[in-house]
Amino acid sequence: MAASTDTEQQEHAGEDGPREPAARRRGPGRIVAQAVSVFGELLITAGLVMGLFVVYSLWWTNVVADRAADRQADKVRDNWAEDRVGPDGPGALDTRAGIGFLHVPAMGKGDILVEKGTSMKVLNDGVAGYYTDPVEATLPTADKEGNFSLAAHRDGHGAKFHRIDKIEEGDPIVFETKDTWYVYKTYATLPETSKYNVDVLDAVPEESGRKKAGHYITLTTCTPVYTSRYRYVVWGELVRTEKVDGDRTPPAELR
Amino acid sequence: MYGWIWRHLPGNAWVRALLSLVLVAAVVYALFQYVFPWAEPLLPFNDVTVDNQ
Repeated sequence: MAASTDTEQQEHAGEDGPREPAARRRGPGRIVAQAVSVFGELLITAGLVMGLFVVYSLWWTNVVADRAADRQADKVRDNWAEDRVGPDGPGALDTRAGIGFLHVPAMGKGDILVEKGTSMKVLNDGVAGYYTDPVEATLPTADKEGNFSLAAHRDGHGAKFHRIDKIEEGDPIVFETKDTWYVYKTYATLPETSKYNVDVLDAVPEESGRKKAGHYITLTTCTPVYTSRYRYVVWGELVRTEKVDGDRTPPAELR
Repeated sequence: MYGWIWRHLPGNAWVRALLSLVLVAAVVYALFQYVFPWAEPLLPFNDVTVDNQ
């Protein structure tokens, strides 16, 4: 570095005659060059950090969330298995560990654990949450008419509703609890709605075309993929329930 | 900036390369473990619920 500046200086001196202007330019010039190089390195760093953030959002959060979801799902299944023997007591439902599993064959194999609440803290564990706010969901286990409204991530954090756009009218949505299979049938989808449209969670979701009280299920997530601009909504209606047998044989829709 | 770090790392080129890798790993770990989880809720990419706020 030093050697080349020296030669430059000599060349300048040879061309221009007096050495002072060249020598004076050297100080500020070097500071500017250094500042530009630091700025460039900062830009490259910012680009790398943004790239890493994409990796984090679309891959790492899934790894962490799936791990958490598997752990919690195992706990729920274990709890169910443990008190299989004997008649069901009036024991309170442990809502913290999860209340059951959602099976949507249209979105792929596997079950989605359902927990209480739709805060990021809950959903980031790779589960679906049922709404407690702004419109409280009616659980299917409550045995009364209402809307079982759920939310889950579209991307990252398990991305449990990633393929929500694959659900078509007529597709089954099955909710599994300790002793009952609740079989719902999709009857309406809303591919894009405002994120402030809380009416979709109503006990009677009129936007879906239904006017009478019934047993509904509502799935909500964000759309389009990789953004949160709008919400995607899928509605289903309870078709029938089935008792869980000793082998937990899934209903025909899941076979 | 990076040149400055490189010049201030001890040892020969190999040792410096190894130390650089360790530094990079530490930075990535800090980002994934602390910075990104903090930044994520502040960015509008992952809100999935309907809300009236």
